[in-house]
Amino acid sequence: MEDPANHDSWRQWFHQHGPRLLLCARLWTRSVADAEDVVQEAFVRFWRHQRQLGGEPQALLITSIRRVAVDLGRREDRRAAREQQAEEVSGRMEPLFETPVEDRERVLLVEAALRGLPPEQREVLVLKIWGELTFEQIAGQLAVSPNTAASRYRYALAALRRDLTPICHG
Amino acid sequence: MDDPLQDLEAELRLLRPRTLSAGLLARVEEELTGLEAARAAHTVRRWQFPLAGAPRWLIWPVATALVAVCGIAIAYWWWPAIPSRSPALSAQVSAPAEPASAFFKPVAATQFLYESLDEGPVMLSSGLPARCVCDRYVDTYTWRNPRTRASVQWTIPRAEVRVVPVDAL
Repeated sequence: MEDPANHDSWRQWFHQHGPRLLLCARLWTRSVADAEDVVQEAFVRFWRHQRQLGGEPQALLITSIRRVAVDLGRREDRRAAREQQAEEVSGRMEPLFETPVEDRERVLLVEAALRGLPPEQREVLVLKIWGELTFEQIAGQLAVSPNTAASRYRYALAALRRDLTPICHG
Repeated sequence: MDDPLQDLEAELRLLRPRTLSAGLLARVEEELTGLEAARAAHTVRRWQFPLAGAPRWLIWPVATALVAVCGIAIAYWWWPAIPSRSPALSAQVSAPAEPASAFFKPVAATQFLYESLDEGPVMLSSGLPARCVCDRYVDTYTWRNPRTRASVQWTIPRAEVRVVPVDAL
C-alpha cells in the first residue's frame, strides 16, 4: 500500500483508503455515525502523531480504529437499551457498499449474505478482503492464531457461496 | 482453496465500500487543516518540557536545580531591603548578611495530572505493539520565609510520554 507519510496532503490518501477504513469500523460499531466518529478520531490521531512511525499504515490504522471502537462501545454500554436498539437497526439499514445500477441486485444479495455471517467470520472476511490485512495481522488484531483466522476466512467464503448460489431443483 | 471460492473472493474484491460522507470529510478537514494552519503560523500546539527527551533519571535533579536557582534569584529580587540603621549601628553590625536563600525554605511540592491522552498504538523497534500515552502535569513548588511569612510559588507545566506494552493494558 502507498505510504501516507509521503503525501503532503492527507486528502488523497483518505479519499482512497477511507471507505475501507469505514467499512472495517462498521464491524465494531453500532451505527454509521459511530463508525464515522471512530474513523475520524483514529485517522486524525494517526496523521498527527503516528504517520512517521513507519510500518504498515493500514494495519496501524485498523488497530487504532478497533481500539477507539472498543472504547466507544464501553462508553455506549451506559446508554439506554432502547437507544442502542434503534441505532443497531439504523446501522443495519445503511448500505455497506456502493451499488452500481447494473449490479445492484447482486451487490445487495452479497451484502445481505455478509450481514448474515457469524460476526467472527464476517470480521475476518472484511479485514482480509477490504482491510487488506494478512492472516498474521488479522490474528494480531483479534488475538487468535493465524490458522484460526484462515479457517474463519474459509468458512466465511464457503457460507457466502452457499447463500449466493441459486438452488437448482432437478 | 477451490476455484468457486477463488471466484467469489475475486467478486468480493471488486465490491467498493461505500464512499465517505461529506460530513466526515468536512470534520477531518476541519481538524487537520486547523492543525496545518497552526503550524504555518508557528503556533505551538503541544508544549513539552525541554528535558522530555533526556534520560528519566536526569529530569528530576535538573528540574530541582532549576527551581532552586529560580528560587534564589527571585528571593534576592523580592527580599525587602534591610531598614537602614544608624551609621554607628551599621558599623557594629558588620557581619555579612545571610543570603536570601537561607530565609526561604521549600514547604510544598504538588503534582497535578490534568490530562492523560492515549495517543494510540505504536510499533516498537522489536516489532511488538505498544500504546503511546501522554500524561500532562502541572507541578507547583512553594517556598516560604518563616520570618516574614512571604512565599514564592512556581507552576511548571510538564508532559510525560509513556510507551506501554499492549499486554500491560
